[in-house]
Amino acid sequence: MIKSFEELNLVKFNRTQMLRKMDKVINVCYGAGCISANCESIYREISSVLKEYGLFEKIKINQTGCIGACDLGPSMYIQPDDVYYCKLKPADIRVIVEEHIIKGNIVTEKCYFDKVKNEYYEHLRDIPFFSKQQKLVLKNCGFMDYHSLVAYIGNDGYHSLYYVIKEKTPKGVVNEIKDSGLRGRGGGGFPTGVKWELGAKAVGDQKYIICNADEGDPGAFMDRCLLEGDPHSVLEGMAIGAYAIGANKGIVYIRAEYPLAVDRLSDAIKQARDVGLLGDNIFNSDFSFDVEIRIGAGAFVCGEETALMSSIEGKRGEPNQKPPFPTDSGLYGKPTVINNVETLANVPMIILNGTGWFKKFGTEKSKGTKVFALAGAVRNSGIVEVPMGVTLGDIIFDIGGGIKNNKKFKAAQTGGPSGGCLTAEALNTPVDYDSLKEKGAIMGSGGLIIMDEDNCMVDVAKFFMEFVQDESCGKCVPCRIGTKRMLEILERITAGLGQEGDIEKLIELGESIKTSSLCGLGQTAPNPVLSTIKYFREEYEEHIRDQKCRAGVCTDLFSSPCQNACPAGVNVPGYLALVSEGRVRDAYDLIRRENPFPAVCGRVCTHPCESKCRRGMLDESLAIADVKRYISDKVFEMNEPFRKIQFPPTSKKIAIIGAGPSGLTCGFYLAQTGHDVTVYDSKPYAGGILRYGIPEYRLPKDILQKEIDILKQSGINMILNTEIGKDISFDDLRKEHDAIYIATGTQLSNTMGINGENLTGVYPGLDFLRDVNMGNEVKVGDKVAVIGGGSTAMDAARTAIRLGASEVHVLYRREEKDMPADRREIEEALEEGVYLHELVTPISIEGHRKVEQIRISNLSQGKFDSSGRRRPVKEIGTEFLMDVDMVIPAVSQHSDLPFVDKEDIEITDWGTFVVEATTGMTKLKGVFAGGDIVRGPDTAIWAIADGKRAAIAIDKYLGGSGNLNKGEDIEIPVARDEESPDEHMRFERRMLMTNERAFNFKEVSKGYHKLNAMAEAMRCLRCDKR
Amino acid sequence: MVSLTINNRKIKCEDDLTIIQAAKQNGINIPSFCYLEGVHEIGSCRVCVVEVEGAKTLQASCMAKVREGMVVKTNTEQVRKARKVVYELLMSDHNQNCLICSRSGSCEFQELGEILRINEENPYEGAKSKEGMIDSSNPSIERDLSKCILCRRCVTVCNEIQGVGVLNSQNRGFASFVGPTADFELMDLNCTYCGQCTMVCPTGALKEKSSINEVWEAINNPDKRVVVQTAPAVRAALGEEFGYEPGTLVTGKMAAALRMLGFDDIFDTNFAADLTILEEGTEFLGRVKKMLNSESVTLPMITSCSPGWIKFIEHNFPEQLDHLSTCKSPHMMLGALAKSYYADQLKMDSKDMYVVSIMPCTAKKYEVTRQEMETDVDAVLTTRELARMIKDAGIEFTMLSNEEFDSPMGLSSGAADIFGTTGGVMEAALRTVYEVVTGDPAPFDNLHVESVMGLESIKEGSVTFAKTLPEYSGLEGQTVRFAAASGLSSARKLMDDIKKGESPYAFIEIMACPGGCISGGGQPRPTTDEIRIKRMNAIYREDESKTLRKSHENEAVTKLYENFLKEPNGHISHELLHTSYVKRG
Repeated sequence: MIKSFEELNLVKFNRTQMLRKMDKVINVCYGAGCISANCESIYREISSVLKEYGLFEKIKINQTGCIGACDLGPSMYIQPDDVYYCKLKPADIRVIVEEHIIKGNIVTEKCYFDKVKNEYYEHLRDIPFFSKQQKLVLKNCGFMDYHSLVAYIGNDGYHSLYYVIKEKTPKGVVNEIKDSGLRGRGGGGFPTGVKWELGAKAVGDQKYIICNADEGDPGAFMDRCLLEGDPHSVLEGMAIGAYAIGANKGIVYIRAEYPLAVDRLSDAIKQARDVGLLGDNIFNSDFSFDVEIRIGAGAFVCGEETALMSSIEGKRGEPNQKPPFPTDSGLYGKPTVINNVETLANVPMIILNGTGWFKKFGTEKSKGTKVFALAGAVRNSGIVEVPMGVTLGDIIFDIGGGIKNNKKFKAAQTGGPSGGCLTAEALNTPVDYDSLKEKGAIMGSGGLIIMDEDNCMVDVAKFFMEFVQDESCGKCVPCRIGTKRMLEILERITAGLGQEGDIEKLIELGESIKTSSLCGLGQTAPNPVLSTIKYFREEYEEHIRDQKCRAGVCTDLFSSPCQNACPAGVNVPGYLALVSEGRVRDAYDLIRRENPFPAVCGRVCTHPCESKCRRGMLDESLAIADVKRYISDKVFEMNEPFRKIQFPPTSKKIAIIGAGPSGLTCGFYLAQTGHDVTVYDSKPYAGGILRYGIPEYRLPKDILQKEIDILKQSGINMILNTEIGKDISFDDLRKEHDAIYIATGTQLSNTMGINGENLTGVYPGLDFLRDVNMGNEVKVGDKVAVIGGGSTAMDAARTAIRLGASEVHVLYRREEKDMPADRREIEEALEEGVYLHELVTPISIEGHRKVEQIRISNLSQGKFDSSGRRRPVKEIGTEFLMDVDMVIPAVSQHSDLPFVDKEDIEITDWGTFVVEATTGMTKLKGVFAGGDIVRGPDTAIWAIADGKRAAIAIDKYLGGSGNLNKGEDIEIPVARDEESPDEHMRFERRMLMTNERAFNFKEVSKGYHKLNAMAEAMRCLRCDKR
Repeated sequence: MVSLTINNRKIKCEDDLTIIQAAKQNGINIPSFCYLEGVHEIGSCRVCVVEVEGAKTLQASCMAKVREGMVVKTNTEQVRKARKVVYELLMSDHNQNCLICSRSGSCEFQELGEILRINEENPYEGAKSKEGMIDSSNPSIERDLSKCILCRRCVTVCNEIQGVGVLNSQNRGFASFVGPTADFELMDLNCTYCGQCTMVCPTGALKEKSSINEVWEAINNPDKRVVVQTAPAVRAALGEEFGYEPGTLVTGKMAAALRMLGFDDIFDTNFAADLTILEEGTEFLGRVKKMLNSESVTLPMITSCSPGWIKFIEHNFPEQLDHLSTCKSPHMMLGALAKSYYADQLKMDSKDMYVVSIMPCTAKKYEVTRQEMETDVDAVLTTRELARMIKDAGIEFTMLSNEEFDSPMGLSSGAADIFGTTGGVMEAALRTVYEVVTGDPAPFDNLHVESVMGLESIKEGSVTFAKTLPEYSGLEGQTVRFAAASGLSSARKLMDDIKKGESPYAFIEIMACPGGCISGGGQPRPTTDEIRIKRMNAIYREDESKTLRKSHENEAVTKLYENFLKEPNGHISHELLHTSYVKRG
């Protein structure tokens, strides 16, 4: 029995003595995740190996609560060495014992491996996932035997209870908790002290304190971790609360889905009872308190306190209107205080360390820490505890390690189905009750789900709506029927059956449900929908208007994710299937139905299709672009004639300005559809940026010319060397044609706005590439600095190397992983000897008339910008000089349009055209525009997609149906039902060796061998077969 | 008293009122739907929501209590919008086959739509949650869940007032419905068929199982002699269906209407009520005599007129069935007599006779199907059904002149009239029993047993026998305690005491419905306490208006004994007028 301070302290003393005798403590994580990863086998193995070496006297093994890194289990943490071993197998144990425990050599390769940084971390303190956390509530989870009352007391447990009973009045306890600023961790953030005060003041012969452990948010398991890892801290918190309000009975309401937590908590209650820490006259005082567990059947609504009490009373778990509040009339009509698990676990340490200590953590209005269950698209998921006030971005990018697979952050959902989503705009928002509320989300109980570009926000909203619809108790009308109607609308939209007005209906219904529902569940149920509409309305609109799901989630809207990801909508599985049957000509024609540039796109496309390839989840995404390149190689090799399939002439005349990918695409489809098309370009050759911007080693000119020649067979007239505005006036052009498509792209490099940009030797990237491509004599420097991280920068750097520069330095302001250039291009550039400098920015270019040096500053990662990346900021005092004699700025580009009056045609601040979203028509009637002139610098495939879309719009504008002549239908091989696919990475393409690339412009990739191409094509999972 | 502001008007009211009550007192009506004052206040429909200054969301005014200084707005745009959306949502999950719904015209949901001025196309049409969920397995009550709007009034009535607990909320969210657990139908369970749920249902979801078609068929069949009888509570409420004030007695018009409908014999169940008193009184005195002789008897004796109550005790207290009087309920007695005594008089085969009972009760529909007496009565119509038939036949009820019941089973005493209200059977019995025991009229003012009058759910009283006749001398000076309970929760309380052997009573009257038959499950809607009292007063008026006020003085009954039954509790009585019960558990 523990009835006095001496008895309590003796337990602690003995514990400390025992630990002192130990050389090391091995903490084996027994969190639920590790248990399912069979940590039991690890524990057994450690025991047996230690036994074998007779180390039981010197080494203590603990079974601990969850350490938080749930995807790293089974894991163990060794004290006092601070070494963390993870992803363990029983076979690893012997080595660790023999090397580390006996000899003291850390077994590095069993430690945590950071895939991004490509290095091992031996010590827990160095792993960002742990080092950036502040474990107060979770201080024992992962570091203490969860089933040992002695261990808990050894860590000062139950000392706070002793202290309040002996030294403090109930009012004193209430005041202390009020003063600490502790707020409810269940999500509402109501001040705990104030709630206790209400409970203490309420008059009643019987009062209750209830611990709400009905954790129900999808993906949230903070409370579970606490109950499983440190059950006594919750019991002690309850006892202190009970003392403060005058309750002698506590109930833990816990969901039936948490059998482990129920077991461990039951054990803890029994232990505490056995020694008199629960029961009558605790510490020989007048205070008596006992706790019982009530198991709920797992209804989400029972987390709502009035429903929770109904459930305890044995009634249907259904909320009642408040007021009366539970503190006035709660369980069985008696005054009742209901606190969340985490809130209660905070209490003992506040009493123990004082409010002054506690208030050091957190922000002015949100004190202490918050535990989150971090889940979704982050690299490191699990349970984390952070001080209130850290930014959302810190949690996601530092602790969470950023977004998996280098995808782009899209949104974070806090507060589960009652919460809201936060976008990149909110990454700098401090995580506290009030800031999150201001942003339209809530703290919630701690669910934090991270979403990336592969999450469809309409689908996310639908998911949460399904959840609340399932979990609505059905008592009040708005929640019972309203959420169903909202769900039905969302189901319609995600099935491609959305209607105009659906978004407005969702908002109207959502607002109404929020104001008129009976309880918190209904009042917050529409939040996920309303907040996704607020931030991602365009995604809803795309679903409704274009039947398009950009994330590739809503499968009713497309046949395969790759086709959906392709801006031009090319039938990827179709041509892959054709290749696998050797029908390359059909494959080429199939591609041309949507994109007249198979050979070009097989080489230079940024292939968004590949990033959505489902095969990527199995082994590696298909090399779709490479197969496309193979198709064009074979077709060109066969040199079969292309049949001209033109519709009857319509006698409508269309002028296209700019013979780049967008203009030619538009012209190709319009000509095939029977219109009279003339393409104008100021340059001597067609191809635009493809010809003058992309170097020969990536896209050989003869290949491009061949593809353009084939495309010209559709009947396009080509007038080159002719500049609109100079050789022909724009007005004349308009008079002579029924419609005009402007696709002149961007031709001018942006300046950087630093000193020295006018020195000789500064050669803007686009100009540099154009001059090289035109065959002009270009003198390249010896030491070249290229500024930028996009594909123009890569092209310029590699071109400079080929022209004989001895050193080429690419200066980029973010990290390599953030570079917009294609990964393969970056890799190839590095192979070719390009130096890459991350996190740097040029300050000035120095030199007398010509470039001599470039002044550079290091940058560090600052706050997050609206793209969801950290904005680099200059590090003061880190400037240095680099000797260079040539600087190539490649930091974006813009266009100039002398032929059209900027007043007539609306232009954005960035110099791009404003066009009508669906048709691409400008303010001028019959004048359409697309490609980079509208988008700003973008990719070829978007330019092609725009050209096709403009062709449809122009055809309609000229009285056609908009159904373009895309050539003959091609029969696609039926997908076979196969057994599960064998894992296989991509098949290799043939490449020039690095030394073969030196000082020449030979194409670097030699493409696929037939067998590899066919094999690669056969890796396709045929997502289109449905 | 608190002062508060509603719609910019400062008002004062009692401090335990809800907002809706306070508003109503001050001439502000807040539309409501699931709310039934004093009975059902759960705030689930959200129609009565109002804006309360300082509250985050709208408050259900049927639940929110008034507070000092409270500022309430009942009619803002937000409130009106919320109400409209709630209505539209309800509508979207409602079977909109209103034209063929029996509640059309008396449907509270329809009425609410008019109040809220819902006149646009519903923007929220979608899946219907309970389509095709119809339970018509039992003889009394039909449930069409496609019309249920989950107000849960029936749940409250079934659980809290009747303590039966058959109807409950099942499932969650959109899949919620009200009904028995799992896939059970009422027939499978301990439903008493009291029909109180049908009384509170605002829509056509809960209603009596109609027998109108069968009755029309019988009337139209030239080979059938169709005998009709009406229960005492019907005449006190039927008028309401034709626009009369509650409490208007329409006995004469009713008799006229029945004749016009084509019934061959218009009898009065009251006749059998008098008979019941003689049978039951005799049975009671028999038990008392045995007790006085120290023989083992089962007391208290409990009345058996209410079939809902009978089913309740059979399910819940199967070991206590001996406490029940073995008397059939009055209309069953009359049915049995019609098909024996009266058929003999007419010299016809009882098979060609068709007996219809007009009852305030839905359980009676079930009662006539009980094996023990399934031939006595052929069909039961509720008060509501009779009204529908009268309308259907084109009879302008208000223009009818009063007519009389037919003999021989049309004459009755005032004691029989009061069978229709809680405490009435007890009073009627005491009038007779006391006089049988002492030869003197019962010692009550105007013959009324005040202690068992009124709407209170359990009432008790006592009577002391003085100057007993020789054969009852054992009762001299003895005080007999009796009780009357209405509503099955109250019945359960009395039964729990009996089960424990702690009941102080000798004689108990139980009626299944709160207030007795005047608010039976087949009566006109709505039935509030105010209306109950009016109907009750009408019944007592009817009693007081008669010179014949004691059952044993009914000459027609006396004659029946002389000519046919011979004596109360005699051989023929037992054959025809008494029954047995089933242990149901």
